[in-house]
Amino acid sequence: MNNWTGPGYRGSLPGRRDAAQQRIMTMSIVVIAALLVIVCQLWYLQVLEGGRFQEASDKNRIRIRPIAAPRGILFDRNGLPLVDNRPTFTLSLIPRELERDPAKRDATLGRVAALLHIPYQELQEAVAKVSSDAILPVRIRRGLSIADMQKVEEWKLELPGVIVEVEPQRVYPNSRFAAHLLGYVREANDDQLKQGRYRRGDMVGQTGLERLLDEFLRGKDGGERIEVDAMGRPVRLVQSTEPHPGAQVVTTVNRRVQEVAEKLMEGKTGAVVVMDPRNGDVLAMVSTPAFDIDRFTGTIDRDAWLRVMKDPEFPMLNRTIQSQYPPGSVFKMVIAAAGLQEGTLTPADRVHCQGEFPFGGRVFRDWKKEGHGSVNLMDAVAQSCDIFFYGAGLKVGAPAIVKYGAAFGFGTPTGIELGTEKFGLLPAPKSPRRGRPPVWHPGETVNMSIGQGQLLVTPMQVARFMSAIANGGVLWKPRIVQRIERQELGVIWSDAGSVNGHVELNPAVWAFLRRSLWAVVNTPNGTGAGARIPGLDIVGKTGTAQTVANSKSEKGQDHAWFASFAPARDPEVVIVVLVERGGHGGSVAAPIARQIYNAIFFEKVASIDISG
Amino acid sequence: MTVLGGIDRRLLQNVDWPLLGAMGGLVVLSATTLASLHIGRAGGNVAFRQLAWFALGLCALVVVASIDYRRLVRLAPLFFVFGLLGLASVFVMGRTVSGARRWILLGPMSVQPAEIFKICFVLMATWVLTSRWAQPVGKTTLALTVPVLAVPAVLIVKQPDLGTALLLLPVLTALLVGAGIRLRLLGGVALAGLAALPLVWFLAMKEYQRERILVFLDPFRDPLGSAYNVIQAKIAIGSGQLVGKGVAGATQSRLAFLPERHTDFIFAVFAETWGFVGCLVLLTCYALLLLRGFEIAASAREPVGRLIALGVTALFATQVLVNVGMVTGLLPVVGVPLPLMSYGGTSMLVSLSAVGLLLSVRMRQFQ
Repeated sequence: MNNWTGPGYRGSLPGRRDAAQQRIMTMSIVVIAALLVIVCQLWYLQVLEGGRFQEASDKNRIRIRPIAAPRGILFDRNGLPLVDNRPTFTLSLIPRELERDPAKRDATLGRVAALLHIPYQELQEAVAKVSSDAILPVRIRRGLSIADMQKVEEWKLELPGVIVEVEPQRVYPNSRFAAHLLGYVREANDDQLKQGRYRRGDMVGQTGLERLLDEFLRGKDGGERIEVDAMGRPVRLVQSTEPHPGAQVVTTVNRRVQEVAEKLMEGKTGAVVVMDPRNGDVLAMVSTPAFDIDRFTGTIDRDAWLRVMKDPEFPMLNRTIQSQYPPGSVFKMVIAAAGLQEGTLTPADRVHCQGEFPFGGRVFRDWKKEGHGSVNLMDAVAQSCDIFFYGAGLKVGAPAIVKYGAAFGFGTPTGIELGTEKFGLLPAPKSPRRGRPPVWHPGETVNMSIGQGQLLVTPMQVARFMSAIANGGVLWKPRIVQRIERQELGVIWSDAGSVNGHVELNPAVWAFLRRSLWAVVNTPNGTGAGARIPGLDIVGKTGTAQTVANSKSEKGQDHAWFASFAPARDPEVVIVVLVERGGHGGSVAAPIARQIYNAIFFEKVASIDISG
Repeated sequence: MTVLGGIDRRLLQNVDWPLLGAMGGLVVLSATTLASLHIGRAGGNVAFRQLAWFALGLCALVVVASIDYRRLVRLAPLFFVFGLLGLASVFVMGRTVSGARRWILLGPMSVQPAEIFKICFVLMATWVLTSRWAQPVGKTTLALTVPVLAVPAVLIVKQPDLGTALLLLPVLTALLVGAGIRLRLLGGVALAGLAALPLVWFLAMKEYQRERILVFLDPFRDPLGSAYNVIQAKIAIGSGQLVGKGVAGATQSRLAFLPERHTDFIFAVFAETWGFVGCLVLLTCYALLLLRGFEIAASAREPVGRLIALGVTALFATQVLVNVGMVTGLLPVVGVPLPLMSYGGTSMLVSLSAVGLLLSVRMRQFQ
């Protein structure tokens, strides 16, 4: 088997050993020629230019100073900045320029510690983390006060290797503004450094748009090569490379709407999504409680960090896409759509509701104890009659409900790329396997008919669903970023919007759904009366989602939903409001939506730019 | 021992003394240069550590030389797999030094699997090129070498260690040429590769990756990156002038302006200390070593020995040219050590084993 390596083997080139020798000879000539090129280069460097380099070496006092590139700005749809940069002072150490003698170096660090009241230990650790040859600054403190900066400048000669850099840093309209949407920026952590993509001390977008678009937003740092004298004072600028600022991002957000929505949600836990049903543009995205976005940018102390991380309300969570809730009665629109389209329900169906629905040895109750009396489908939507929908759900059947639920995008992500999105849950009845009990109980269908049970949705999914009802069945992928522009290149990326699904329903069904949603807000018994504004046809569905009843919240156990759009004819805006443990959708969530509509359609500032 | 018993008198007569002389000369130059730097590390001066590694490496050299290289080549797939496992192990138990995971800790030593892999690669390539399936040398042969190159290249690039990955291609090319591949075929493949580059550039790469390559080609694009090292190295070399500043006068190196001065940039230290004349001596040692290597390859009687000698020589040649080219500013900055000169235990051990392979081929060419 292995005799091919045996001594008798003569190889593939019998009789051509000379050819092989010739090739090897040629290769050796190539290598020697390359060595000669190197000798020439050495002659040039050492003999011809040697004097010049000798001089450079005698006063080897070249220093490198980075010039931080400003991060790109994020704008709202009308060109208002959502975030800006401001120059700040940063205290940095340059390991290579620190004293080589450990005792002298420690003295320098001690002086810095005393001057600026920084723990000496912290300085030691910062220096120990990097090689003592490093020429890149190690950032110790960002956001130095002017007084501190002046102290360092005064003591400059006693502090070799210590510099104050000017770095542009993020500033926000207010400390919690669009915190989840924008995300915070922070020095690259160890994991990110391991990817080899960032340098130590680089500011990196950690969440939200800052993270999604980090590649575009981060600029390219420039640098200066300067010559200093024996005292470390700059003598001459040898070379300078300009920093390239990051790209500008135009989002779909409307800053005014975002501000109004945030203000209305203050003190509540929940989420608001404002969307344009015509193209999926996200006009506002609010999740409360929010975190202090600007505190995360600088050096946040451990306690403050832990306080945010351990907050039982999870302020870091973006509730519009990362929290899942039972949809409650909002889901009744799926039952209605499925039943009407499949012919299992008709607008004329009538049920006498007395507040109770006995089924399978259990009694399912209506949210209104005394019942709604005789109701047809439209009344049942308007008054959110549970009894009607228990029966309706059974008539439509779980497979059809799941089919239409899936068609409306429940159980599938919306495709928004802002952080890890939750998928929601659309429980599917599986066909029972042999020898096993059936996995789906009819009782579950009853529960699902009013949006309870295992069913879970995110507010963004509900917004996409309402948009589909508003626009006749198109499921838009939520769009947050319109385009990205670079100074010298113009638009480098743009998103014309994309559709991730389509629901086919008979036009009469669409019309019925919209009419019944209109009745929710605009008829005397409608549950959504709290959203009514004279002069604007707002349509929507309330929802009151029961939760596992063991919370100690004094506000009650139910999540309040209001999913809506306006104007009824030619809808321009979809608003979804969710207030966690807020109580009834009609009394808690609907008024919030009303005030946002009011701001959009009746306060001049906001109404001009909504279609832009 | 059977291994050492393999060396009979006839073999010893064929020891290549000029080769060993060049090698010894380089190690002496390395030790003196390292000693002049006074870099204290845990466990003693780097010069002593380097000499300790040299002693260990000499043992490796004797062992390797005494084994018939054909036996080693027969085991090449085994070495190759172990080499790959070593490369993969850095991801699991690797030690991160300045952003790259290249070392693994074995007891008190840290080992660089990528260094060891270089030898495994030469053996494996030889095994493939002399295997039955590769005959006659043509397109099939070329196809067989693709996985031998691609698998380790991906692993090494991931570490990331671009320098070592770039060494593999010229070594393989030299072996293919030595194995007798038609130059037209090789040229065609090279052209196809060049033609595919724009596709990779525009379609497969992200902006930051492109930027990294551009900086690699032109360090001055990024003033905060390797440009500083290149400038300092040039100043060190240039200021050495004709005869050098001597150990005491080599301020660039002594005052630690020079980065990586005991490893990748050791040539700059040497050049500053001993000047153009010293550099000529050093480069002559390398030229001697390489020419002996080529001579051993050319005079080998059968393809396995020829290819092994050629592969080892190509490995040395590429490292020397790339390292010195980089330090003198002719080539972009790649992390490639200068064999036998740079401080590094694994590198020393591997270089001496490689010389051992050359000797093994030399001593058996008259059998």
